[in-house]
Amino acid sequence: MSLLTVILSRSPSQDPRKRELEEQILAALSREPDVTVATIPHLYDFVEADESLRSVTGSLLVLAWLYPRAIHWTLDRLSIKGQYGNTQIPRPDSEKDEPKNSTNAQARTIWSLDLRDGDTAAMHIAEIQRILRDLRATTPAATSAPASVPKSEIGNQKSKIHRWYPVIDYGRCNQCMECLDFCLFGVYGVDDDGHLIVESPDNCKKGCPACSRVCPQNAIIFPMHRTPAIAGVPGAGVEVQKLDLSELFGAPAAAQLATAERNAALAAAEKEAKPKDNLDKLMDALDDAKL
Amino acid sequence: MPDELVFMMGNFAARFPADRRYTLNHMWLCVEGDSLRFGLSAYAIRLLREVYFLEWSVDAGATVRQKDEIGAVESAKAVAALYAPADGMIVRFNPDALADPSAIHKDNYGAGWLFEMTARADDAMEPAQYLSCLETSWIKAQELLKKQNA
Repeated sequence: MSLLTVILSRSPSQDPRKRELEEQILAALSREPDVTVATIPHLYDFVEADESLRSVTGSLLVLAWLYPRAIHWTLDRLSIKGQYGNTQIPRPDSEKDEPKNSTNAQARTIWSLDLRDGDTAAMHIAEIQRILRDLRATTPAATSAPASVPKSEIGNQKSKIHRWYPVIDYGRCNQCMECLDFCLFGVYGVDDDGHLIVESPDNCKKGCPACSRVCPQNAIIFPMHRTPAIAGVPGAGVEVQKLDLSELFGAPAAAQLATAERNAALAAAEKEAKPKDNLDKLMDALDDAKL
Repeated sequence: MPDELVFMMGNFAARFPADRRYTLNHMWLCVEGDSLRFGLSAYAIRLLREVYFLEWSVDAGATVRQKDEIGAVESAKAVAALYAPADGMIVRFNPDALADPSAIHKDNYGAGWLFEMTARADDAMEPAQYLSCLETSWIKAQELLKKQNA
């Protein structure tokens, strides 16, 4: 009988220190009763068609090298929904901003921990043990929900394809549809109820976070963007975890950035549109030829 | 002419082979067949330290303009976007560096090259000229480091 399923999302980077931290946490959790542990490749790279994660039921805790908000809403778009579990991990961000739940969140709780918080495994292990204590205290043994037992490794570990797409924080999104108007690649769409969805994520232009910059609610997360505010940092804080050396490598000044991104998107869109123009001309020519 | 020039970054001696040219965004380039091969200079590597993650945001065959963002690296010390060093077409990316980004810092002038481009790169500099640019760049870099560490 397992009270909690812990899923550890592996880092896409080959940093040996990250690997070591992951292994330390996995080793500690393997000695913990009431816990089912599984590892997955980088959560953000999961494709929507992969249903393996959806088989996990009951209380869930996800560790990933992403901001908790990014984890929560990436899970949400994979249809893994739940109440946002509050954690007591000290964050460098002065402002606390826990995600609000989407309206159709299920009763179960999902905790999201950012593995970049703190340099030691001990802090994460202690937090998981705290959550377990709470769960044991509030769950009568006889009625504890039997969590499903996933395989120790879920998903295709060998997948080397890094995805790039926006993740919507539906706790912030107010359905203004500015992103839908702004994006030239048809990434966004609306569902049957007229609500904004990321309809064609893989149409997104790798590296382009422009729609996130135009979102009035700052509700669009690109979890892998190097700018914390775009990658889903809590609150408005822009606490930098690593130095951003882009300026030294030729980055344009901040004011030029949004314009440059938009222009690049436009140029690429025009390039893509050209074959259609030629096709149109061909169709016209065929019409004119009266074949 | 010596085989390499040296620029002191504090106590660290960054070395720049004289057999190639350099760009303002701290890449080296040399002729490789019909195209130019690019990699990161020792100056860039010293600022980044060990490189753990490399990703390209454009595909091989893409036409790019100078300063277009084409990818990103993450290292022990930093994250940084990478920008096209010249107008031209990206012919191919180094598959070995993509598979194991540590090649970028372990052998930055050899096996750790980044990509090959068909480009003119008219504004690429001889090593001596690059080193004179580093004098001002190093001051700017130290200011940036101080500002971001504050």
